[in-house]
Amino acid sequence: MGLYSLRHADRSVKLGALLFLLVLGYAYLFAFLMVKTWSGLTPARVASTYVPAPGMDEMHMAQQSHATTQPLDLGRVPEMKHTVDTNLLIQDSHIHIMIYAIVAALLTLVMLGLDWPGWWRDTMIVWAFGFGALDFAGQWLMKFGLGGFSWLTIMSGWGMALVYLIVLYSTVRALLPGRTARSDS
Amino acid sequence: MTLITTLAVAAAALGAAGHPTPKVVLVKHADFIRQTLPGARQYFLRTVTIGKQDLASIRQASDFTPDDPDAQFYLGQGDGGATVGVVMFQQIDTPHGPIEVGLTFGPGGAIASAAVTTATVETKPWVQEATASGLMNRFVGMREGDDTRKALGSAAGSLGAMPQYIAELIATAVGRGLVMYRTLYRESAS
Repeated sequence: MGLYSLRHADRSVKLGALLFLLVLGYAYLFAFLMVKTWSGLTPARVASTYVPAPGMDEMHMAQQSHATTQPLDLGRVPEMKHTVDTNLLIQDSHIHIMIYAIVAALLTLVMLGLDWPGWWRDTMIVWAFGFGALDFAGQWLMKFGLGGFSWLTIMSGWGMALVYLIVLYSTVRALLPGRTARSDS
Repeated sequence: MTLITTLAVAAAALGAAGHPTPKVVLVKHADFIRQTLPGARQYFLRTVTIGKQDLASIRQASDFTPDDPDAQFYLGQGDGGATVGVVMFQQIDTPHGPIEVGLTFGPGGAIASAAVTTATVETKPWVQEATASGLMNRFVGMREGDDTRKALGSAAGSLGAMPQYIAELIATAVGRGLVMYRTLYRESAS
């Protein structure tokens, strides 16, 4: 059995758990808009945000510079492309990995009160912490030039979503009146 | 179920690419080009693919290697076809996201206008504090070889630590822009 039972917990504990999950989902909506705007949701766009530009290929560079000039439509001038360089990724990593860990820890507190079998609870706890870590592992691998790992970052996002939804669903079920608790594992 | 689906997408997006520090466009490229080349009737984009000789010159002059092998210059031409000015955008990275400076060069090759065109959510207030003292105006008239740090002069000491740091980065970006312009832009290039 868990360390406590959310179903039988004090009303304040239930309220805190439910509000935490709902507000976390609320925050995720804005996270969605932010990432969609600045980083993109497809592997190609995510990779282009993190994989370093090819840079100077001095081996194959011509001796002299070469210029081409073409008419310009001011209505089609692109803005600066948004990329994340190594220093910025260090900055992002140091705060976001910590926040992911705190969120995973809080989700774990909720999970401990759910009537889940021990093996499933442990699996979910590992996922809760693991997907956040894998998200940034993917970003760093892209930063090292391995653009294919954009999938790891995206799949980690889906993993975090899955963990969140399972916890939310199970919590709401546990809090609904009139349901009888399952036998403990 | 709609709520659950929305949350799923949102949560996926959370992890889809971490949380990049969002950029903030302070002045759109097109607006900067239009506003700082008021006599222009038509515009051209000149893309210069950097060669070994020019790369060596850039490195020697500024201890800097451009990230992109292609440099882009935006030319404005007046009624008679003469170039009234050239615009370029020079980016510099910070631990808080990239900053981009727009530079307009007059026909004589000196800076005619300078402005920070892009910052990030984090750096925007520092950029605003740094530039509020007239920093960007002090770059006007500078040419390649001039010490862009002199533009910091009167602002030094009156700014907070981060705005001062950002001001120094802006001066570095302007210096690199001067070198790039002087090395790569040739009026007669096709």
